[in-house]
Amino acid sequence: MDALLNLLPHIINGISLGLLFALIALGFMLIVGVMELINLAHGSLFALGAYAAMLIISPDPAWFGPLGQWYLGLPLTLRYIVGIALAPALVAIVGFGLEFCMRRTYGKDPLYGLLLTFGAAMVLEESIRLFWGSGEQVMPVPQAVSGAFLFGDLIYSRYRFFAAGFAVAVILLVWLFLERTPYGAIIKAGAHDSEMVRALGINLTRLRLYVFGFGASLAAIAGIVMTPIWGLRPHVGVDAVVPAFLIIVLGGVGSFWGAVIAGVLVGLVVGLTGAYASEWSLLSMYLLLIAVVTFRARGLFGKKSMLEA
Amino acid sequence: MSKKTSVTRRSALKALGGVSLGGAAFYGPWKHNRVYAAASDKPLKIGITSDASGQYANSGASDRRGMHMAIEEFNAKGGINGRKIETIHIDTETTPATGSRAAERLISREECGFLIGAVSSGVANAISQVAQKYGCVYLNTNSSSPTESGENAHRVKFVWDGNGNNFAQAAVNNAMTAYGKDWLLLTNDYVWGHNTSAATRKLVDKYGGSIVDEILVPQGTRDFSSILLKVQQAKPSVVAAAVGGDDQKAMRQQVAQLGLGENMAWINNQQDWPDVYGLPLENLFGVFGTTWYYKLGLPGVSEFVARYQAMYPETAMQVPGNVFYNGYMATRELLSACERAGSTNNIKVIKELEQLKVSAEDRMQHHDAWMNPNTHQMQQTIYLATANHGAEDKDDMFKILSNSSPEAVQDKTADAAANLEPYEATPSYEA
Amino acid sequence: MQQTKAQPTFWITRQMLVLFAVLGTMPLWAESVGLYQYLGVEIVIWMIFALGFNLLLGYTGLPSFGHGAFFGLGAYAFGLVQHELAVSLWLGLLGAVALAAAGGGLVACFLSHRRGIYFALMSIAFGQVFWFVAIKWHAVTGGEDGLLNIPRPAFDFGVGHLALDNNTALFYFVLAVLAVVIIGLWRLVHSPFGKVIQAVKQNEMRTAFVGYNVWLFKWSAFTISAAVAGLAGGLFAMAQESAYPDVMSLHASGFVVMMTLIGGGFVSFWGPVIGAAVFFLARDLLGSMTETWLLWYGLMFMAVVVFKPEGIAGAWQDMVKRRSSGRERGGHAGAALAAQLKR
Repeated sequence: MDALLNLLPHIINGISLGLLFALIALGFMLIVGVMELINLAHGSLFALGAYAAMLIISPDPAWFGPLGQWYLGLPLTLRYIVGIALAPALVAIVGFGLEFCMRRTYGKDPLYGLLLTFGAAMVLEESIRLFWGSGEQVMPVPQAVSGAFLFGDLIYSRYRFFAAGFAVAVILLVWLFLERTPYGAIIKAGAHDSEMVRALGINLTRLRLYVFGFGASLAAIAGIVMTPIWGLRPHVGVDAVVPAFLIIVLGGVGSFWGAVIAGVLVGLVVGLTGAYASEWSLLSMYLLLIAVVTFRARGLFGKKSMLEA
Repeated sequence: MSKKTSVTRRSALKALGGVSLGGAAFYGPWKHNRVYAAASDKPLKIGITSDASGQYANSGASDRRGMHMAIEEFNAKGGINGRKIETIHIDTETTPATGSRAAERLISREECGFLIGAVSSGVANAISQVAQKYGCVYLNTNSSSPTESGENAHRVKFVWDGNGNNFAQAAVNNAMTAYGKDWLLLTNDYVWGHNTSAATRKLVDKYGGSIVDEILVPQGTRDFSSILLKVQQAKPSVVAAAVGGDDQKAMRQQVAQLGLGENMAWINNQQDWPDVYGLPLENLFGVFGTTWYYKLGLPGVSEFVARYQAMYPETAMQVPGNVFYNGYMATRELLSACERAGSTNNIKVIKELEQLKVSAEDRMQHHDAWMNPNTHQMQQTIYLATANHGAEDKDDMFKILSNSSPEAVQDKTADAAANLEPYEATPSYEA
Repeated sequence: MQQTKAQPTFWITRQMLVLFAVLGTMPLWAESVGLYQYLGVEIVIWMIFALGFNLLLGYTGLPSFGHGAFFGLGAYAFGLVQHELAVSLWLGLLGAVALAAAGGGLVACFLSHRRGIYFALMSIAFGQVFWFVAIKWHAVTGGEDGLLNIPRPAFDFGVGHLALDNNTALFYFVLAVLAVVIIGLWRLVHSPFGKVIQAVKQNEMRTAFVGYNVWLFKWSAFTISAAVAGLAGGLFAMAQESAYPDVMSLHASGFVVMMTLIGGGFVSFWGPVIGAAVFFLARDLLGSMTETWLLWYGLMFMAVVVFKPEGIAGAWQDMVKRRSSGRERGGHAGAALAAQLKR
């Protein structure tokens, strides 16, 4: 009983961590699923989103004069909401630009797209460093979701549960968008058979543009949500892109719920090893992946992908 | 970065824009540098090996500012023995393999007389191994791994920061009497973490405390939630953390979120100023070590800060910290040693540095400092500090709690482990 | 890929002679163009690594993003042999090749029935495991600080020996190894084995239907490529006199992919050679000029992918083709050269 009581907080913690992992993987999943492109710039877009939000939430008062003063006088919660709404849109624009560069690689070996995003990741990271400096940054969080609470005799972070809840909301919204709207249907069709989509008279070029922008903005949202937990520095993206790819392979390329379940699974494994064998907590997710993929070649719920050809 | 460098950088970029990436490009700027070097009465060239990308990019920048300020001061006085000092920097990327290549390049291609700079111990190691091969004097300004002046000590390498062992000695006894005897160790699972925690463990045993648990934190950990829950479940009286780099930054953020800093006694080995500058005070929990603080209230400190602000008016970090201080002091002492020796012969400079003694006044610390000739580590005052709640100045983040003399915190294990190469085995040259 | 007619393959080609001549004279001219000998050593080592890597990427069509692991295995093996067994060049390199081949063979067992994205992603996962173990297993690898003070054993050839302490001597040694690797790989890709793996790249299923054991060919290509990576890693440990875990990181694994593609590994045997040289020279040049070298470096890669995805070798082939078609008649020499640059 005692052992169980000890275990319970770690399970709860693992699940909330897992939801965050799933959120991190969401944008990556969309792009790899629809465009069959491994977006190595995912992490940099993640970081860029966080930096952009930080800039929107607490800009340098010297920049806009009295207007800036007035804006900074607004309640933090309001500015936070503005940031979380606006920053992903800005990152989507960067995503559009990147997709535009990508066009010349379509129809060629998928490695070219990957190489391009690898280069873009370097450029974005260094641009962040030039603009914001390489120091550690802190994003202010509204009072309502910060601080800690006591449960049993353990202290939990309020923000963490907010973040996990937020992740669930975003995941559900994206799912509803894909399943219940005509746009979602087109995107899914595009993932399934791009020739058919074109035959139906849908502009594939524009579809790809939007999907990439959407994926980029999802990366940005994940960045904003994770920043109060991980902190923010120019190279923070590396910490996001590796778990993202891992979760996608584990869940299976092209499977929405596969990615979500894989995220939670990775969260649980990392959380539990963190508690009982902490030195293995980072390796554990790779071992999980190798164990699963050895027996299920395409991950938990994967379908055959174009990228295998 | 000073204005001057930014101009050269811009012109260098223009040069890059002008030539395509063919073979011809490689004649460009380098050839030019050579001619310049020959024409200006052979300046003294110093290679700066510091990180501009990767985990320690920010500390690296601070370190470089320290070196540049010292060099600028000497150049203003007319250089070393009548020679101007020039610098060239290569990004070591917080990667040892790159550190090796940078050192090879700076020594053999740029013909640098001295190399300065390090934050990561892995990089410092890599550089010092190459430097030893050529006999090139190398200053490890800011890496605080005990191995740097222990088993990986070299005749050409001098270490200027306090190490994990020094900080543990300053903290353990005090903390045990103040907070209790049940300690939990949080150890980053790599060489520095293990060494530092081993030093702490030894001292805890010595003063009659006990270690309730040691939690190993893999390098690269970003999520500390399960570890922090585990710490709470263990209910120790003191948590001694030897967690460094980005891991430490993430941990700090998560401890602050939980308010655990107030609920538990924490000992954090060392907090580098560039890592914490500008963060909310909640992130600065517990007691931690440092070698210097800009509000020490000693003579000369406020002038030093003023010089910093005059030279770097646009830097985000508006006051200097320990990393800057170490970079500055190391460079200044190297150049002074050249002056005292009246020569830039490496062996003469090494011998000069080995008998270095700096008065407390010159160091702007509470105690006299001296170079340990066996380990090549600067023996200096170690301060314990905590977050300074309620200060008017937002930059005044530390409250200094105590200072320990170098003798009180001396790393005795390093003396036994260090095995410097003999002078004869170190190639000699004139810088 | 071009359907090559059955023509005899030579052991030594004109390109090889040009390459060896350029590299062989490098110690004479390197300094005067602002290079330094050590850089040459690293470039040649990475050429070996990239050439072996391209057997997998360019010829078999398998994108491995964990190849740094085998490079690292080679480096550690070389260091451990020197520290624990005997200070010996041949034993060290043998150990490097053997350990990397063993590691590669093991990983290939898991990967050889994978293709495309799953292959790429799984190779990352395995690479990370090796990297993690290298950092974790302090007692053997020295952990984060790496394996230090690895000696450079002398080149012993029975009747005499040659010290490799200085970088010029080491350069000639690694160049000799490069020559052996180039000739070996050149023969390999033009052998029946080479034809089969290229067929696997084009259409795995059809190759299987024809009756080849595709799994075994993929496994062999992976293992050979890992062994070459290990050889390069062993030489790298010698050059650096240390072995660090960083070379196993995702970044280092990504770099070898980049240099292979930038050079034009998909269209030419020589792509990796060109790519490694450009990769290091650009990095060295940019790094010495600006602290923000990463920005320009990234832009360079993006530009190559956007404007000339076939890489530098591809651009060269185009140029030669254009010139030879312009000179309607006497275009034989140019066309011949272009054909030679193809595999």
